[in-house]
Amino acid sequence: MNAFETVAPAGHAGRRRGWLVPALILLLVFAALPALLAGFDRGYFYQIANLALIFVLLSASMHLVTGVAGLLHLGHAAFYGVGAYTAALLTSKLGLGFTVTLPLSGLVAALVAFLVALPTMRLVSIYFAVATLAIGQMLYLVMLNWVDFTKGPNGIIVTRGFELFGFSLSGRIATYYTVAAVVTLSVVAISRLSHSYYGNALRSIREDDQCADAMGVRTVRLKMEAFTLSAFFAGVAGSLWAHMTGYISPGDFKFSESILILAMVVVGGLGSLPGAIIGALLLILLPEGLRGLGDFRNIMVGLVMFLSILLLPKGLLGEVSALRLVRRQLGAAWRHTGDGERKGEGIGWR
Amino acid sequence: MKLRLLTLTTLAVAGIAGSAFAADTVKLGYQLPLTGDTAQYGQDFRKAAEIALTEFNAAGKPFKVEIVFEDSRSDAKEGTNIARKFVDDKEIVGVLGDFTSGVSMAAAQVYKEAGMPQLSQTASHPDYTKISKYQFRNIATQAQEGPYNAKWMASKGLKTVAVIAEQTDWGQSVVSGFSDAVKADGGKVVFSEFFNRGLKDYRSLISKLERAKPDAIYTGFFYEDGAQFLKQLHQLGVKTPVYSTSAAYSPKLIELAGEAAEGMHLTSNFLPTDPSPNVQHFVEEWKKRSDGAVPGQFPAQAYDAVRIMLAAVEKAQPNPTREKVRDALAQTKDFPGVTGKTSFSADREAEKELVKVEVKGGAFVPVKD
Repeated sequence: MNAFETVAPAGHAGRRRGWLVPALILLLVFAALPALLAGFDRGYFYQIANLALIFVLLSASMHLVTGVAGLLHLGHAAFYGVGAYTAALLTSKLGLGFTVTLPLSGLVAALVAFLVALPTMRLVSIYFAVATLAIGQMLYLVMLNWVDFTKGPNGIIVTRGFELFGFSLSGRIATYYTVAAVVTLSVVAISRLSHSYYGNALRSIREDDQCADAMGVRTVRLKMEAFTLSAFFAGVAGSLWAHMTGYISPGDFKFSESILILAMVVVGGLGSLPGAIIGALLLILLPEGLRGLGDFRNIMVGLVMFLSILLLPKGLLGEVSALRLVRRQLGAAWRHTGDGERKGEGIGWR
Repeated sequence: MKLRLLTLTTLAVAGIAGSAFAADTVKLGYQLPLTGDTAQYGQDFRKAAEIALTEFNAAGKPFKVEIVFEDSRSDAKEGTNIARKFVDDKEIVGVLGDFTSGVSMAAAQVYKEAGMPQLSQTASHPDYTKISKYQFRNIATQAQEGPYNAKWMASKGLKTVAVIAEQTDWGQSVVSGFSDAVKADGGKVVFSEFFNRGLKDYRSLISKLERAKPDAIYTGFFYEDGAQFLKQLHQLGVKTPVYSTSAAYSPKLIELAGEAAEGMHLTSNFLPTDPSPNVQHFVEEWKKRSDGAVPGQFPAQAYDAVRIMLAAVEKAQPNPTREKVRDALAQTKDFPGVTGKTSFSADREAEKELVKVEVKGGAFVPVKD
């Protein structure tokens, strides 16, 4: 899978195995897991599998911006929301089905991301993070307060489940396969994007954007592309969520969801796509698996996250330390004159 | 392969949890926020449910009831997960909760498909009970409370009203339910605005509102926001009378707002001072479990919701099924609860009797008009 390992190779040897690992994963997702689910035949397990897959896609899409390009993105859930609302509104107002809403959800989310990216993508470090925070909040407040259009806090009931050109895919297994297929295709696309010359150009922004600039990498344009692409996949995930639950409201896309997705990317390891996927699985499956602990389960989840940052600064499979990245980004905010190699980093835009 | 192992262990652990029960035990599910932003409500509901359940099981019935509590954190993801989990458990014949309408409605999509009766103590979204014949609620809707309050205010000669409410589905229904009734009674809504829950500074809202010179302010908030609003109103020296809904009816409102709460008018269908043995018993039990604190409106609704569900389970004996429990719930008529008599209408809405209350001398005092 890893065609190019440039900076700080992650601790797994993907290259030599070649096609074996992807084949095994495909076998797991499309044969072993559905067989297991069908064996148990419990809606709860299907639900969790689907939810975990949706968050794998969200985490993988954020990985592109935060992990590969190293930009702290605090508003990802808003694009997930834009996608979900696009799907819900197209279904409830125009009666369109999943086949149409899926690509449109991605495109609308990407379009919105592109528009908000225009004035903000020249920002760097902490200023970028604050801008994405603001974008996320703005979009959330639009969903919440534009009552005439989005129905505001009343939310929208999505009347149609999954389908393919009018053929219903609403059974348990069919739903699972639909989600799995969409997520797998998207993750493959993200994998191609992040393990390529293109991904390495993004990595160069993460490592040193000034240097990348000087080498002729068009950093602003690349950031914009990564941001827009990532929003596209978040929008796709939103469409999956809308059709799967049948009811969405702005509360599903608030700031805490952005932080949850960010935590998945960080726990898994910044810059590693398998890391982002495992991070998502961990943070969705762990709280469910720990239900038996009652009120303590959130403390346990918090503890796992805390320990993983403390003991594994690079996350499970990360290329760079989250702490290092954050320290550099936050530090830049008040380092005005700079010294030596970091000179001039305090400038908040480029 | 880490992934696969993890999935397998999670599945295995969850599988073992669904163990067998004796035939004379009936199981109910209760999904509610025990952690997170709204945990204070969920914790209260669990306490109320435990009181109701202990009494029921101690009453020497031929069967026992067990309630499975699951924490939804007021999160739609977790709410639907729990719903699937409850539906999977063949022994669960009825579900209570969730707290917020959003989570209740997301979970309701699952219950609708599975034919599981769902009774929420608080979900107030106008469309909640319209989802399917399995959704019930034990809360007076704003379609009922709004006109009641509008009449009350009209009878006091308050013609122009400013309306503010939190920006939630419930707040939306507060404003629409009330405004329509005010207009029908010949009054006028001169100002109407929503605020986001947890707002800290109401002063700009208050000055905007005062510019409209209303005779009274009608408010849709819960006690935390209500206390903040009342305090700031008091600080700014605004003397316009304030009216509110039963959602603000909590002893914590007076505790937090202090003298700023004086003179506020609101409706309620639960009075802890009501001398009827039913209410006094609940208040006593509640005090025992809460260091002497007095229960508010929501715990009382939860207590009644659980008892209505238990009564339905009893009526569905022998061998209660989800369908039988649903039918028994639908037949609920004049259930003698601590929040007055409750009946479900044909569209599964609770019909409640409302009481007028005023804050006087640091306490809620029922008033005639």
